[in-house]
Amino acid sequence: MKLRARLAVTLGLAAISLLVLLGWAQSRWQSKMRVDALAEAAVHRMESGGRERCEANPERWPGDRGARRLRRPPGPPRQRVPRHRVFAYDANFVSANTDSPAFPSKLAKQLNAGSDVATDRSPDQRRTEIAVRMPWNEGPCSVLLMRSKGPPPWFSGAVLMPAFLVALVVILVALFAAGPIVRRVRQLTDSVRRLGSESEEPIQVEGNDEIAELGVAFEQSRQTIQAQLASLREREAALRNYIANTTHDVMLPLSVLQGHLVSLQQRIEGGDALGAEAILPSLEESQYLGSLLHNLNAAARLDANEGLSHQDPIDLNRVVERVVDRHQPIAKRKQIGLELAVPETPIEFPGDLTLLEQALGNIVQNAIRYNRADGHVAVILEGSAKKWTLRVVDDGPGISHADRERVVEPSFRGSEARTRHPHGMGLGLHIASDVAKRHGLRLELRDTDGGGLTVELIHAG
Amino acid sequence: MSNRILLVEDDVSLGQQVVQTLSQAGFDPHWVQDGDAARDLDPDDYRVIVLDLMLPGTYGMDLLKRYRVKSEVPVLILSARDDTADKIRGLKLGADDYVTKPFFPEELVARIQACLRRPNLVGTERLVVGAIQVDLERREGSNSAGALSLTPVEFEILALLARRKGSAVTREALVDAALDPAQDGSRRTLDVHISRLRSKLGKDAIQLETVWGIGYRLSGNA
Repeated sequence: MKLRARLAVTLGLAAISLLVLLGWAQSRWQSKMRVDALAEAAVHRMESGGRERCEANPERWPGDRGARRLRRPPGPPRQRVPRHRVFAYDANFVSANTDSPAFPSKLAKQLNAGSDVATDRSPDQRRTEIAVRMPWNEGPCSVLLMRSKGPPPWFSGAVLMPAFLVALVVILVALFAAGPIVRRVRQLTDSVRRLGSESEEPIQVEGNDEIAELGVAFEQSRQTIQAQLASLREREAALRNYIANTTHDVMLPLSVLQGHLVSLQQRIEGGDALGAEAILPSLEESQYLGSLLHNLNAAARLDANEGLSHQDPIDLNRVVERVVDRHQPIAKRKQIGLELAVPETPIEFPGDLTLLEQALGNIVQNAIRYNRADGHVAVILEGSAKKWTLRVVDDGPGISHADRERVVEPSFRGSEARTRHPHGMGLGLHIASDVAKRHGLRLELRDTDGGGLTVELIHAG
Repeated sequence: MSNRILLVEDDVSLGQQVVQTLSQAGFDPHWVQDGDAARDLDPDDYRVIVLDLMLPGTYGMDLLKRYRVKSEVPVLILSARDDTADKIRGLKLGADDYVTKPFFPEELVARIQACLRRPNLVGTERLVVGAIQVDLERREGSNSAGALSLTPVEFEILALLARRKGSAVTREALVDAALDPAQDGSRRTLDVHISRLRSKLGKDAIQLETVWGIGYRLSGNA
């Protein structure tokens, strides 16, 4: 049901209910007043000579006229005494006048129960019958029965018709008055319906009432949804970009790996006697692939968070051991000595375990990857929880002073970091630098005594 | 129990590789492919448990919790997920270490050996490293030829290296532990003391290795 019709029906039903209730109350009140007036008038009539006349000639009283108009009792006017007929009865409700009707049993029951006035409607509901016990309880005129035309019952056209007329007027007024409200609600509906479309129109509803407030609430929601949609679109674009970059980054070493494997196959088919070292480039490439994926994952996490998502106490001794164990197989195959030294008392440091391990892994991997056969790499953790240094020393070719600042910029976003060193130091050291910065560590590059590069992660305390 | 190792890993290829690697390294691997099957095993029947997290049936973390209720056996987690929360949760639940996939077989063996080595690191009164013995209480050292006549500095150097058996010790740590900084506490002086110590060790000096970039190590291999 539409708003306008619902409003009209609701108001109409409310009006009908109220008016019917009022009609019923008024009807009840009028009946009571009528009975009181008749009873008072009957007593007054009998006390002012009526009793004597009745008892003198009870067989004919009240005479031929049948219907009499009682005189109003003295005092302030209260209620007009309606036209009625009156009959006299003795205390046993027997009339000496043969024209009198039989005394109604319901009224007799009420008087016997102790009431002085009893009232009832006639069986056809058209007349009101009132019985009044006189102050004396003897003689043929000790009880009067009066019959008069009754007031209309409350559930009758006379009472209900005005109610229905008023209700009709109310409904018409409601239909008319609801027009502007309905128009504004429709305007709001149209605005909300347009939300999903390309239109960026704001939701506007005139006025200063609840509908206008609803419009403001919708407008606020629209702005929030628009902002979230924009953020989602940005994320989707970033994800697409990430997948594209990752695919590119992974395809390159994968192609190199495939190339190594094809070359191995051709050499085997050509009858070459291959040594164990022939497989080394493929192994190195496969390890690089794994490390690259971890780096891309780390880059995505660093990109997504400003700070650190984890701050758990980390056993740095274990981190060093794990990283060295992880790179030992490749180092051995490349005949590079990879050693570690950690303090006797483990050093704990709050941070992100995965990122710190990845950062150190990148530094160690670079130290091995760019070193010569028979070269050396040493990973040394020194100090205490308050102040420590994690040093990766190698005797490889090092990095020129001009390049040092650039490779440790804590930025790996965009394609520059990848394309600059697509197959090596770029992303790994950038991530190491970013991770160091987020952990409040200093990353320093310097020459190793006797040649090579020393990379230090310093917690100055 | 000997060298029995429980491997809980659902991937057949990886499981076969790990079983082969562990067997070659001298361990006796027992491979279970299903989390539910691993639930009812007694962890104390094994020296180390290698546990994959993503398993069919029971999740690896739940197995870890179950094992930890009744056993202190070292548990090494195998994780393909590069997720810090998973690793930290595993360590908090009582895992001793983890290895992230992909890994070289040697890496896994090294981590298992590290798990087995760890409880033995805490000190005893008498340290034995190959042919070299150090009595910490009496402050005496000996080698395959008999008792060594060591200066206090040489004893401190040998004791520290023996305590860290098989691990490289930095020159700085040796200088701090053995030399008086007010007199001759320099790295050059340390090299002189090491040289003298080596000559006293005679043919066992081969155990006292120089570690490039770090310092020295007392190796158990004579």
